[in-house]
Amino acid sequence: MKDNALRVNPYDNVVIAIQHIGKGDAVTIGSETLFNTVQDIEPSHKIAVIAIKSGERVIRYGEPILEAMVDIPKGGWVHVHNAQPIIIPQQNERKGDRR
Amino acid sequence: MEFNGYKRGDGRYGVRNHVMAISTVACASGVVDAIGRVFPDVTAIHYAYGCGYGPDDFFTSLNTMSGFVSNPNVGAVLVIGLGCELLKSEYIAQAVKGKPVESFDVQQYGSAASTKKGIDIVEKFLAHVEIQKRQPAPVSDLIVGLVCGGSDAFSGVTANPSVGVASDMLVKQGATVIMGETTEMIGAAHILKNRCDDKDLSEKIEKLVLDQEKFVRDYLGEWAGLVIAPGNMDGGLSSITEKSLGCITKSGTTPIRQLVDYAAKPTKAGLTIMNTTGYDIDDMAGMTAGGAQIILFTTGRGTPAGFPAIPVIKVSSNTSTFKSMAGDIDINAGSILDGEKDIASVGGEIFQMVFKVASGETTRAEINKSRPFNCLKQGPSF
Repeated sequence: MKDNALRVNPYDNVVIAIQHIGKGDAVTIGSETLFNTVQDIEPSHKIAVIAIKSGERVIRYGEPILEAMVDIPKGGWVHVHNAQPIIIPQQNERKGDRR
Repeated sequence: MEFNGYKRGDGRYGVRNHVMAISTVACASGVVDAIGRVFPDVTAIHYAYGCGYGPDDFFTSLNTMSGFVSNPNVGAVLVIGLGCELLKSEYIAQAVKGKPVESFDVQQYGSAASTKKGIDIVEKFLAHVEIQKRQPAPVSDLIVGLVCGGSDAFSGVTANPSVGVASDMLVKQGATVIMGETTEMIGAAHILKNRCDDKDLSEKIEKLVLDQEKFVRDYLGEWAGLVIAPGNMDGGLSSITEKSLGCITKSGTTPIRQLVDYAAKPTKAGLTIMNTTGYDIDDMAGMTAGGAQIILFTTGRGTPAGFPAIPVIKVSSNTSTFKSMAGDIDINAGSILDGEKDIASVGGEIFQMVFKVASGETTRAEINKSRPFNCLKQGPSF
């Protein structure tokens, strides 16, 4: 079966849809069927590869990019409705730079 | 490797030989337009500000405009002012070395006589550039800017990694590559920091990105995490960190050699970071003022924007955009998603096209005469 998604980095917990994938349809990468979606996924959007619990990080490019706001099921769509930007630590407040 | 360029009096090589007419304030743009109507091949450009603004914006625009008209792709330049603006036409003209330049103000002659004077000057410039011939130039004289605009979730998967391959090949050949868009490095400071040549530079890059992050957070408050255009969210990107990681892949894997201010010239070959905004037109203005003769521009959702006097090579991240904007895009990295090509082969294609374009092949944006101009302005007008 033709691929309908791609994985950017082996450590990622999301994959990217490369075409519209209907609710319940199989996600295929490298000619291998991995799991089924739980909702419609638009092209270029993220799909959870495993269940991501509320508060857990969404990983892409091998790096944390978002934090889940609710429990996201395996095969679920991951976007701004259920995940938020990670609160960035105040690492840039160096000595003398605290305003 | 070599390309065939136009040698300038300052030692640099242009990949184009444009005659430019440019106004230093919007009030004088009518004369530039009139000249452009008489000579469609002349690059007729407006600057939208130039009147009353603060010292930061004044010096930014002075440096940018001076650098831009000095870009080796410009063979001769006529600078037209109004006369009472802060950014005087003569300031810009004074910065130009080693090629024909003239300037005057519309208040000296009025519009009609200014137009006639401008036409006479441009006619002389056209005759001057017409006889110039391309000659072999070393790759070390090539500066290529990297831009992404209208990004989607595929930009960081197909187009940007492909440009990253081309960047690595260009750097290996001795060229200079400039990456900007500091806002789109937020969240990736820890990756960029580890790509620097020396500790001092590493700290500077980290500080640049973290300061920009702090600025965005202070300025935008609770909106800060979403400093990506709505178009990008429709494309599936959910945060600036996600966009940033996809964005910086276009710089490839070579060490960062230098950090330069907006519109400043890199002094070392290899990968340079320039402190620019994420606004494509301002970004390209900074890079071309810094001497970039070619821009590699990736796009997900598509944009027709080129830049005056500079060939801009468009690389689409997906085939749908390539098809819907076929007349605007040069290379389709969407072929990677279609299973037709891989990142390495598209990267090689981009590298080859840089050399063809450097020696005269036209890009889509050039054919379309899509050449918006603007440069960074951050403070109020007075």
